[in-house]
Amino acid sequence: MNNYLRRKITDKLMRALTVFCAIFVLLPLISIFVYVISKGITSINIDFFTQLPKPAGEPGGGMANAIIGSLILTGMASLWAIPAGVLGGVYLSEFSTNKLGTLIRFSADVLSGVPSIVIGIFAYSVWVRPMKSFSALSGAFALGIIMIPTIMRTTEEAIRMVPHDLREASLALGINRFKTTIRIILKTAMPGTITGVMLSIARIFGETAPLLFTAFGNRFWHQGMTQPIAALPLQIFVYAISPFEDWQRQAWAGALVLIGLTFVISLTSRLVTKRKI
Amino acid sequence: MKKLLTIIGGVFISLIIVSGVFAAKLLLINGAGATFPYPIYSKWFYEYAKIDETVNFNYQSIGSGGGIRQISEKTVDFGATDGPMTDEQLQKAGAEIFHLPMVAGAVVLTYNLQEVSNSRSSLRFSPDVVADIFLGKIKKWNDGRIAQDNPGVNLPDKKIVVVHRSDGSGTTFIFVDYLSEISGAWKSKVGKGTSVDWPVGLGGKGNEGVTGLVKQTPGSIGYVELSYAVKNKLPYGDIKNIAGNFITPSLESTTKALDAKVDTMPSDFRVSLVNPSGKDAYPIAGLTWILVYKKQNDKAKGEKIVKFLNWAVTDGQKYAADLLYAPLPNSLITKIQNKISEIQVK
Repeated sequence: MNNYLRRKITDKLMRALTVFCAIFVLLPLISIFVYVISKGITSINIDFFTQLPKPAGEPGGGMANAIIGSLILTGMASLWAIPAGVLGGVYLSEFSTNKLGTLIRFSADVLSGVPSIVIGIFAYSVWVRPMKSFSALSGAFALGIIMIPTIMRTTEEAIRMVPHDLREASLALGINRFKTTIRIILKTAMPGTITGVMLSIARIFGETAPLLFTAFGNRFWHQGMTQPIAALPLQIFVYAISPFEDWQRQAWAGALVLIGLTFVISLTSRLVTKRKI
Repeated sequence: MKKLLTIIGGVFISLIIVSGVFAAKLLLINGAGATFPYPIYSKWFYEYAKIDETVNFNYQSIGSGGGIRQISEKTVDFGATDGPMTDEQLQKAGAEIFHLPMVAGAVVLTYNLQEVSNSRSSLRFSPDVVADIFLGKIKKWNDGRIAQDNPGVNLPDKKIVVVHRSDGSGTTFIFVDYLSEISGAWKSKVGKGTSVDWPVGLGGKGNEGVTGLVKQTPGSIGYVELSYAVKNKLPYGDIKNIAGNFITPSLESTTKALDAKVDTMPSDFRVSLVNPSGKDAYPIAGLTWILVYKKQNDKAKGEKIVKFLNWAVTDGQKYAADLLYAPLPNSLITKIQNKISEIQVK
């Protein structure tokens, strides 16, 4: 009986501990949300979404150029990183030899652990310096590098989940390997792949460091792919450390918009993956 | 699901096409550098966009060190700095770079001392006292030498916390240039540069960081650009100049410092304004320069840059006072305009 009581108490204690830890994990997230919303909501107005920034220290203006800039950068990064990542994932799970596959997998894991500022400096030295110009393209290049490992690994995992029977059935029906891969396997693995893509988009959307020395920032509307471009996280960074109250206020509004858009992206990915084939 | 992807893809692609259309309309000229003149530069570029609608000037304040680096790498069309480029740096750049002064500003000693902030408008500092505080020799606020400059002020028995910049900075350059000028010990022990090996103190990033640290730390003293102290309502000290007068940093006293050096201005404008001889001149002042290549390889950009520079040193000067920068005197403006006319646009 005594033993039973002790075990029961231990059980209760451990359960309480896990509940506490769960709350503890959620606490930062919730407090960030509450804090950013309370600080930012009052500064969000029509101007914020439609106006260009005002000169330093003057009240008013908005971040319209930065919001559009961020969307363009993310779009362009996706344009090259999604095909590269997905096809890389297909290669890893379907075609790779053991040795090469392990090497690629290991490289991808290392790459996903490289700090984003390092990727920014890399893009600066291989793109910006030879081209003698900061540009939207170099920013998209840096962001794309960050996206690839995530997309590749999740695609690979998703394809691994596709039952072998399906593959064999398709081949048995005389469908060639290419069509089997694209039409059957990749299609079945689509929800998982899309999750990976969405997660990587959500991640790069908030990246500041790789853009500092590539996209560089722009006070005006974007002017083509070979010119510097504004981005929301960059603008927030500049505004947040400025000594001007109005800019600090707008930085909070920018943070709120950034969190909101990232939230929408994550939510979309959840909705897409819920709809199983 | 396919539909959703198509929509998302469609939106992105149309955005990219739209941006391509925009590209044809405007010429974008990029610059980077000093944070010290950022408020006035952003004002200028904002106003100038209204005057010449065919060109936009995009300026990113990444620090003087970054400005020198990027112009040397030719990744930007112009740079900006508050500490002139060294001969070595100029040589490395490969082509001739002009230093064009735009405005002058003051670096002020700001402090956080609740006990005295009510009794008097500002504390007074002799040059040797400033040097010894930053060398760590004067450790307490009630030190006899501080008290000597501030008769009647009840200084607290509190430790002095020195705050300096942690990053490469033109503001630092102006300040340590001054300390090297007035203190032999500083010159031999620490020297000058955009970042130095500080004997004591805490580091803050940017003028913003130092301002923040001083605000939060009772008993602290740091140096920031005048407008940062004013905008954040921090007190700042009067400094004794060569003539022996305690001078409050202001637009007027900075202009006086500039006036004192105009006649002896070297032809490349790389001059320090610290420790001027004028009787009412504030001793810790500095110029801020725009850096451009003498040979402009892009004709369209070169012409626009020349036009803008001429505007900045003439009509643009009227925006300086509001932002607490000292405008350039007329005699200097003529010299700068002559220099600008030497820029070759191919």
